[in-house]
Amino acid sequence: MILGAHRASADLGALEPGTHLCALEPDATTLDRVAATFVGQGLAAGDQLLYVASDDQVDGLVRSLSQHLDAGHALDSGQLLTSSFEGAYGSSRPEDLHAVADGFRVAAHQAQERGFPGLRVAARMDDLPGLLGSMDEVVAWERMATRLQRELQVSSVCLYDTHRLEPGEGATLAREHDGLAPDIDIAPIGTFLAVDEPWGVQVRGEVDVSNRHLLHRLVLSRAAVMPRLRLDLEGVTFADACTIARLRSIAAALPEGGHLVLARVPTVVRRVLELTGLGHPQLRVEP
Amino acid sequence: MSVAPTHTSLMYDDDRAYAAEAGGFLRAGLEQGQRALVMAPPSRMALLATELGADADAVDFVDEAVAYEPQWNAYRVLLDHLDTTPEVRTRVVAEQVLARRAPAELVDYRRLESAANLVFAGRAVDLLCPYDAAALPQVLLDIALRAHGGLRLRGSVVPNAGFRDPLEELAALASVVHPPTDATTLDCSDQSDVALVRRTVRAQGSRDGLAPDVVDDLELAVSEVLTNALLHGAPPTLVHLYEEADMWVCHVQDGGGLPVDPLAGVVPPAELSDHGYGLWLARQLVAAVDVGSDLTGTHVRLHVRVTG
Repeated sequence: MILGAHRASADLGALEPGTHLCALEPDATTLDRVAATFVGQGLAAGDQLLYVASDDQVDGLVRSLSQHLDAGHALDSGQLLTSSFEGAYGSSRPEDLHAVADGFRVAAHQAQERGFPGLRVAARMDDLPGLLGSMDEVVAWERMATRLQRELQVSSVCLYDTHRLEPGEGATLAREHDGLAPDIDIAPIGTFLAVDEPWGVQVRGEVDVSNRHLLHRLVLSRAAVMPRLRLDLEGVTFADACTIARLRSIAAALPEGGHLVLARVPTVVRRVLELTGLGHPQLRVEP
Repeated sequence: MSVAPTHTSLMYDDDRAYAAEAGGFLRAGLEQGQRALVMAPPSRMALLATELGADADAVDFVDEAVAYEPQWNAYRVLLDHLDTTPEVRTRVVAEQVLARRAPAELVDYRRLESAANLVFAGRAVDLLCPYDAAALPQVLLDIALRAHGGLRLRGSVVPNAGFRDPLEELAALASVVHPPTDATTLDCSDQSDVALVRRTVRAQGSRDGLAPDVVDDLELAVSEVLTNALLHGAPPTLVHLYEEADMWVCHVQDGGGLPVDPLAGVVPPAELSDHGYGLWLARQLVAAVDVGSDLTGTHVRLHVRVTG
């Protein structure tokens, strides 16, 4: 992968976990848009998202996300977390980066404990140079972050306003990242959102070879926390046989007493179930 | 010790001959404690019910409009029936209304009859396929001669000298038909292209007069076949859309490589991950499916009826 100027694929559903992206834009509006794209697509892929930004920036993100998905729901279920810059990175220069790294480890671990397959972070970084004191320190930080994120399989986008940077600093920062975050938002064909009550997943849109692994990993993560879960399939407009077959396998592998409920099953899924005859005592189908 | 299955054809000239031969065939089995299944048009089922009298209660009747919708569903009806009592021999009378079939479906019908010899090998079943010699054209009666090991005549079965080796027949029916030059062709290189193909099939199919439930089933069938091609075939993978002989065709072509198993997708594979699964599903969803391979690759053609 070419470092720096390379633009990451606009398909953030296929983003390799642990990818460290950046956005270097001359205005806040574009940064808002890049952030919303990264967060929205990450949520749709079933991951937990942490947005580190000011209250106004958070409000803006929630408003723009709400056009495509239920951002309020994501906040309620804990799939979308927000934090101020100070809350995430502190208000004074950290003694050493290891303490910050530990904070990230805890966050990544908590994502799994909350039933998410992974964690992604979008952070407005404009206060970082001031906090750390120099660009060299920022570079060291970003370098640590690249290693740490690969280890923790946490993807991120570091959002920098280039107007606040000196000439040449943008290129320096870009070199410390795996690529630039996409600035176009191509809506994914299907979305997989966590549901807290009843415990499970809400599926919308189409599920096929290109994205069914995202659904399956989210279901597995939820099942690992509690093996009685419900999949709301009302919004599903397409699902292929392998998608359903894998759900059946997951249901079959649940511990005793566990079950996977397919709820509000649409015609298209019913057709697959009826043709394939897929079933299992631990896979329950509700009309 | 188990007796080999039999696959016999019966040519009948009138109702009386049908009732006597097909009825006699079933009665002989019932007398030995065997099971009986009839997949036939209502008129034939009525003839058999009259012929068998009280014995008809022991026979399972399925309307051919259900059993053969689509054609390959007949195997499933049969296999499900056999699986409920695998230790008991079953006699089956199987006849569909061939007159309503389009040319592409009749090619599939030839495959259906030949492949039956392979699919039911080792099963405790005697299959009798009646053909209306007064109404059917010779080309369809020829299927009776090529695909069946025996001919039923006046109460007994005569070995059929015209029987063709099923694998040879299936190979002969696996030729490749190339898309016309005015076909819509989609080049699919990525898994994300499958969704685009579905959308295109939906849009173009609806525009060309396919009924909504036909479009839904075709969308699923092409998704399965195309996914197969992308996962197990070789690039380039192309999808061609065109009309042929009053049918709408969705043709998936990939670079090929693996030899095509003539029985792939003819019976429900044991495991969903089996390569034959997509094809089997397609055969349950559309009117006819052609599979062939040559130097240009592997070609799977899905045919559906145009109603609009």
